Amino acid sequence: MSDLDAYRDKARKWLESVAPEFGRDARRGLSVEEDLALGRRYQRAKYDAGYTGINWPVEVGGQGLGHLEKITFDGEEMQFGMPNVYFGISLGMPVPILIRFCEDKPWMKERVIAALKGEEIWCQLFSEPSGGSDLAALRTRAETDGNGWRMSGQKVWTSWAQYCDYGVIVVRTDPTVPKHKGLTYFWVDMKAPGVEVRPIKLAGGDSHVNEVFFDDVRLEDSQRMSPVGGGFGVALTTLMIERYVATDSAGFGPHLDLFVETAQDIDLNGRPAIEDGRIRSAIARNHAMRAGLDSITRRAMLMMQAGMQPGPEGSLQKLVAVRSRQKLSELGLDLQGNEAFAFDPHAFVKEDWGTSWLNAPTGRIAGGSDEVLLNTIAEKILGLPQDHRPDKGVPFNQIPA
Amino acid sequence: MSILYDEGQQAIATESRRVLDARTDKARLLGLLEQVGEFDETFWNTAIEQGWTALALPEAYGGLNLSLVELGLVAQATGAATAGAPFLNTSYGAAMAILHGSDDSAKSDWLPRLASGDATGCVAFAEGSSPLPPKPAITFDGMMLTGRKPAVPGGLKADMAVVWASLGGRPALVAVALAEAKREPVSSFDNARLYADLVFDKTPAQLLAQGDDALVLARDVLARMAVVTAHEQVGGAEALLFIARDYANERKAFGQPIGAFQSIKHRIAELYGLVEIARANCIHAAAQEGQPGFAVAAADARLSATEAYDTAARDCIQIHGGIGVTWETGLHLHMRRARSLAIEQGNTLFWEDWLVDELLKGDAA
Ligand SMILES: Cc1cc2nc3c(=O)[nH]c(=O)nc-3n(C[C@H](O)[C@H](O)[C@H](O)COP(=O)(O)OP(=O)(O)OC[C@H]3O[C@@H](n4cnc5c(N)ncnc54)[C@H](O)[C@@H]3O)c2cc1C
Repeated sequence: MSDLDAYRDKARKWLESVAPEFGRDARRGLSVEEDLALGRRYQRAKYDAGYTGINWPVEVGGQGLGHLEKITFDGEEMQFGMPNVYFGISLGMPVPILIRFCEDKPWMKERVIAALKGEEIWCQLFSEPSGGSDLAALRTRAETDGNGWRMSGQKVWTSWAQYCDYGVIVVRTDPTVPKHKGLTYFWVDMKAPGVEVRPIKLAGGDSHVNEVFFDDVRLEDSQRMSPVGGGFGVALTTLMIERYVATDSAGFGPHLDLFVETAQDIDLNGRPAIEDGRIRSAIARNHAMRAGLDSITRRAMLMMQAGMQPGPEGSLQKLVAVRSRQKLSELGLDLQGNEAFAFDPHAFVKEDWGTSWLNAPTGRIAGGSDEVLLNTIAEKILGLPQDHRPDKGVPFNQIPA
Repeated sequence: MSILYDEGQQAIATESRRVLDARTDKARLLGLLEQVGEFDETFWNTAIEQGWTALALPEAYGGLNLSLVELGLVAQATGAATAGAPFLNTSYGAAMAILHGSDDSAKSDWLPRLASGDATGCVAFAEGSSPLPPKPAITFDGMMLTGRKPAVPGGLKADMAVVWASLGGRPALVAVALAEAKREPVSSFDNARLYADLVFDKTPAQLLAQGDDALVLARDVLARMAVVTAHEQVGGAEALLFIARDYANERKAFGQPIGAFQSIKHRIAELYGLVEIARANCIHAAAQEGQPGFAVAAADARLSATEAYDTAARDCIQIHGGIGVTWETGLHLHMRRARSLAIEQGNTLFWEDWLVDELLKGDAA
């Protein structure tokens, strides 16, 4: 047995031992608040067992292991339906960025460990009503105020903000220079005076995203995580990390096995649907696509382990996987015919075609829309010309709204 | 029947749109999603008042003696409005089954009431994944119906159902009053469609057709409902097309309207193609009513309209970015309706098979 197989075995045993307390059966019927509370306890148990911050340095409370161990654990964990969704963004982007860019090391370490234990949660406050894909078009502003800053404005689509203790945020500190140049990156205390969070209900019925309003919120200069005017670079680093978090070739929907099962269980023209050519074709194509994505991910992890830079093909993951999840879920519903109408909005998206289908559109928008990802691939990887951008080089305050 | 709309037909199209614009309320429709067993009574009262329930039924039974063309035009308007009641399709389907069936008392019992909108009907053919099972599990014996039909559109509130059943091992079409049947509401992703499991236990019913006649009649009813539904799908898809176009003109990113990006512009142009092909198929199918090529035309309309509406729902949300996936904006009303209409009256797999079977028969127009 290789070391990695031994690691997987041990992880699996631990997951099995705690699944009755935290796994999908234990979570059925819980309210979001109850599930979050369970999630915090799970996160603590995971910390105690040494499965948090697997590939982070030991100095900040991590395990000092490699990416392979991390992805191995994630792959096993995924099968149990544990309540970890609340910590995905927090530990995925803001906290790693904090580790890298926060100057106050003791404070940083305290925060990181609290986040690993699930005691504190961080959100990512980038998008705004006027700046989603066009992140640098954001309008929330901060002005110097003594030895600190005063911030006002509005963010939107902030995942889990209503449960967060801290956030990382990009704001405009100089409107007189071109849009990318006048931005600065801070961390912000979500409980500070002047911060107001309003949940937004999504099409699927839940409300995990929020509008966040800042009314004259005080920031100390020590909360600044980039040079003044150098915020866009740090934001891009954050987004680069984000892309590597998305390594689920099912596009965060059901595994292909579930589709095969559905097709075996259901009759089509008096035979199991699995015998129908159209269904077999859908399965085969999805399998080939997902296998390719899995292989890309595995290779990327091995390269990172070996100290090499993984190739840019990793950027295909979210783009391709979520689109295919949307279509496959539609077909899953088609296969069930009238039985598909019965719908449980609280069913897990990874094990139910209805909820997977209804929530799929968010996946094609959040974390970079399809179109923006395609632009990035075309321009950054393939060297195709950039779109015409009339606002290029124009001082922000002279761009027509 | 012509494939050019005459003045009267155009007036129906404009008027039904106007009325529905005035009386549809997004907040009300969103509210319906969160309740099981409620439908949009404002819409249904409008339908009755406007005579839409009577449109395609014969004068002898209180109908207006118009055709699938006119009903289709109204269905397009209701599709655009995501109107919250399934009866425009289902009552029509039930009425057609009775009208072309062999039981005269069923005609006098139900047709005048379906035409006036006093009664609502539904059509219970599907069993699970099969829209028209060759051997229905539900049985009709001694003029009584026994068994269960799952997730029948309109089943929760309809007064009567036309049921695809087995009679001595052969298929039969029967009409049954639902007053004495048991209904189990189905909590759905599109609750305004009033899905319910219908459970019969020796419920008295009227025989409309049996054996091969039943199959011919059932397929005709399904094809007719599919054509009405296809119009509804086209109405929804077209509404989304224009919502997307308007948003792409208004929303700016990188210093210009997002409609200037080819990926957005082309997506909307592709939608236009899907909508117009589906619409053309709908017009053709409605004009073929009662002709030999009707089944094929209905399948063409059904397949292209399903593709148009599902694609429009996906793309319109995508074009809106984050705002498109919010509850308030309500694009998911269309997304949900696109899916429920795609499955009611047979999914894509079923209609693909149907179409190819018809082509193999060789009597396609
Ligand atoms: C569920 C969910 C969770 C999210 N969580 C967070 C979060 O935690 N923190 C955070 O900061 N943000 C978050 N977001 C925001 C997300 O990053 C944005 O929604 C996304 O970047 C798109 O921006 P937008 O909604 O403003 O759409 P827009 O930018 O307005 O896009 C509208 C349409 O235009 C297209 N478009 C835009 N620019 C181009 C171009 N150059 N070429 C071609 N097409 C283009 C888009 O692809 C889209 O189809 C979340 C979003 C969702 C839906």
